[in-house]
Amino acid sequence: MRVWGSVLGGYARSRFVRRVLRDFERGLVAFGDLERSIVEASSVIIGAQVSAGLAYVVDGLLDWHDIFRSFVSSWRNVTPTGLLRYFDNNFFYRIPLFTGEPEATRLVWPPRVKLYSRLSEPSGFKVVIPGPFTFTSMSINASKASFGELASSIARLLESEVRAAVESGASMIQIDEPILSDPDIKKDDAIMAVELINSIIRDIKGVKTILSVYFDVPSSSVYEVLLNSRVDCLSLDIIDAPKRALDLILGRGFGGHCGVLGLINARTIYDDDISRLEDIFGSIIKGYSGEEIGLTTSTWLDLIPYDYSLRKTKLLGLLVERIARSFNLEHVWRVS
Amino acid sequence: MAYSVPRKFPTTIVGSYPKMPQALEAIKKRKSGEISEEEFKEIVKPAIREVVEDYLWAGVDIISDGEQAREDMVVYFAERMRGYSIGDWVRVFDNEYFRKPIVIGRVEWISPMTLDHWLYTTSISQDRPVKGILTGPYTMMEWSFDLYYRDRRELIIDLAKVIRREVEELIKAGAQYIQVDEPALSTRPWREDAELLKEALDIIFKGLEAKRIIHICFGRLERIIPYILDYPVDQFDLEMKNSNFRLLPYLKEYGFNKELAFGVVDVHSFQVESIREIEEAIDTVMRADIVNPEKAYVKPDCGLKRLPRDIARAKLKNMVEAARRAREKY
Ligand SMILES: [Zn+2]
Repeated sequence: MRVWGSVLGGYARSRFVRRVLRDFERGLVAFGDLERSIVEASSVIIGAQVSAGLAYVVDGLLDWHDIFRSFVSSWRNVTPTGLLRYFDNNFFYRIPLFTGEPEATRLVWPPRVKLYSRLSEPSGFKVVIPGPFTFTSMSINASKASFGELASSIARLLESEVRAAVESGASMIQIDEPILSDPDIKKDDAIMAVELINSIIRDIKGVKTILSVYFDVPSSSVYEVLLNSRVDCLSLDIIDAPKRALDLILGRGFGGHCGVLGLINARTIYDDDISRLEDIFGSIIKGYSGEEIGLTTSTWLDLIPYDYSLRKTKLLGLLVERIARSFNLEHVWRVS
Repeated sequence: MAYSVPRKFPTTIVGSYPKMPQALEAIKKRKSGEISEEEFKEIVKPAIREVVEDYLWAGVDIISDGEQAREDMVVYFAERMRGYSIGDWVRVFDNEYFRKPIVIGRVEWISPMTLDHWLYTTSISQDRPVKGILTGPYTMMEWSFDLYYRDRRELIIDLAKVIRREVEELIKAGAQYIQVDEPALSTRPWREDAELLKEALDIIFKGLEAKRIIHICFGRLERIIPYILDYPVDQFDLEMKNSNFRLLPYLKEYGFNKELAFGVVDVHSFQVESIREIEEAIDTVMRADIVNPEKAYVKPDCGLKRLPRDIARAKLKNMVEAARRAREKY
C-alpha cells in the first residue's frame, strides 16, 4: 500500500505578504509588484512542502481573502458583502451576494497552475475549489434562481475551472465541502452536493480527485451518501473529534475510495503527538482495503500564524515518513 | 437616592459600545509603549464618560463602561493575567489580523483587570447599576492558543479561577450584576463543551451575592439548550432579534425558568429599529409565555461596538421607550 501527504489548503500570510497587500490596498504598490511578491512568497511555501516530502502541494492561496473570494471577484452577478463567522473559527468571510446567474469573466486556476506546477516538481500540484453546495449555502441568493439552479450554475463555472486547470498541468483536484460536516445537513442536501460534485469531475481523467469535508465529522447518514460520490478520494477531519471520526470510518469504511486522513491539527500550534497519531492511523488501517491512503492537515493552514503553518508542514512530512516506516507502506513523495 | 430599576422589563446592554476616539488613541499609545497601564486607565476615562452620557440620554437602566479599554475581548484579559504571551498575527478577515494570545504557563490572576473602570463608571452613573462584565473561560480558551496545558479541562478550570478572583474584587466593591460573556460557546454546540463550561461556571459563580448572568450569542444555541439550562446563573442574556426569535420554542420546550434578557435590536444592522418594531419584539417574547415581565430584561442582541455611535444611541433610545410602553401594557 502507498501513503502520501498533502496539506489541505491555504497558508497563513508572512509579515512580508501582509505588508505588501496592505500597501497595495493603499495604492502604494502597483499590481505587478504585488503579483511578483505573491509569487515569491508562494514559492517559499511550495518549497517547504516539497522538501517535507509531500507528494501533492498547494501554492498557499496567499492572495485569497477567503475560500470564495477569488471566484466571486472573477464572476459577474455576484459581489462580496458583509462579514460572517466562518464555521467555529474566529475568522470571518465575506458573504457572496448573487444578484443573477453568475458568469465567469476570467478563470482563477489555469494561470496559477501554469506558474506554480513547474515550481512544484517533483511533487504534483493540487487545485482546491469550494464545493458548489457549500458555496451556495454560504451565499445570499438574491437572484431569481432557486437554490438548486444557482448551485448548478456555480458547479458549471467550477467545472470549466477544473477542466482548464487539468489541461494546464494540475495533478490533483480537491473539492471542499466543509458545510457537509454541519449537524443540520440532511441526507437530501448531501445527495445534491454529491450530484453537483459528480457533474464537475465527470470528464476529468488522469488526475486524482478528492472530496474534502472538515471542521467536524459528517453525520453517518450524510457520510453514507458521500460514499457514492465519483471522486477518487474522500478526505475527513479526523483530529477535531477523533472519537466520532473513528466511529464513522470503522463503521462505514471509505466505500472503495482512497481515504485521506486529516491528522495534523491545523488549528493548534503545539507539535502534534506523532505517536498518538500513529495509533489512530493503526486503528483505521486495520480494516482498510485500498491501495493507497493520504495524510493531511485537519483544515487549511491559514488559521494559525505563518511560522506555525510552516512547522505543521514539516510535521505532516514527518508523520508520513513515520507511518510509512511503522506500517511498512510505500512512501510516495514524487509524482512528476 | 438610589436609582430604582423598573420592576418590569428593565433595560440593559450587553457591554461594548462604539469606541470613542480618545479610547482608540489610548489603546494605540499603550500598545506602542508610550504610556503605562496606569496612564492608560486614566486617559480612557473621558471615553467612558461619553458612553455613560449616551446611556443616560437614552435612559438605559443597567449600564456598562462600554468596554472602551478593551481592544479585543480576549486579548484584553490575556494581557492582564499571568500565563499568557502576546501571540503572533492571525487573520480575522480580509487583510486584517489580531495577535491571538498563547497560553504558555499556568494562568493566574495578578491584579484587578476591570475594577478601576467599573468604579469610575459607577461614580458617574447617577446611581444606575453598572454590570461587571468578563470574558468567560470557554471563550478565553477557544480564542487563544494553548502551549502549556494541552488539556482543555485543566485550562478552563484555571481560567475560571482567575475570573472568579476578578468577580470577587467587583463584588467587594459593590457590583450587583456580574456577566460572563461566552460567544464562543454557540460556535461549537456540543454537549461535552456545554458541560465543560458548566463546571467552570460553578467555580466562577458559587455562593455569589449578585445577579449572575451569562451572555451567549449567535450560532446554534438550540442544539445545546438542554445542557445549559441548569447553569448556575440567574439570567440568560441571549441574542434573539437577529435570529428572528428562533430560540423561543426551544426555551419553552425545555422549561426555561430563569430570568431572560432578550435582544430586541440587531447589532449587525445599521437600520434603527422603530419603537413599534421593538414593541412587537417584546410582544413576541411575551406571547411565547416563557417569562413574566418581572423576569424579562430588554436589551440589544450583543455588544454595540461595530455600530456608528449615532446609530447605537438611536437604537438604545427607541429600545428604552418600547420597554416603557411594554410596562404599561403588561
Ligand atoms: Zn454577544
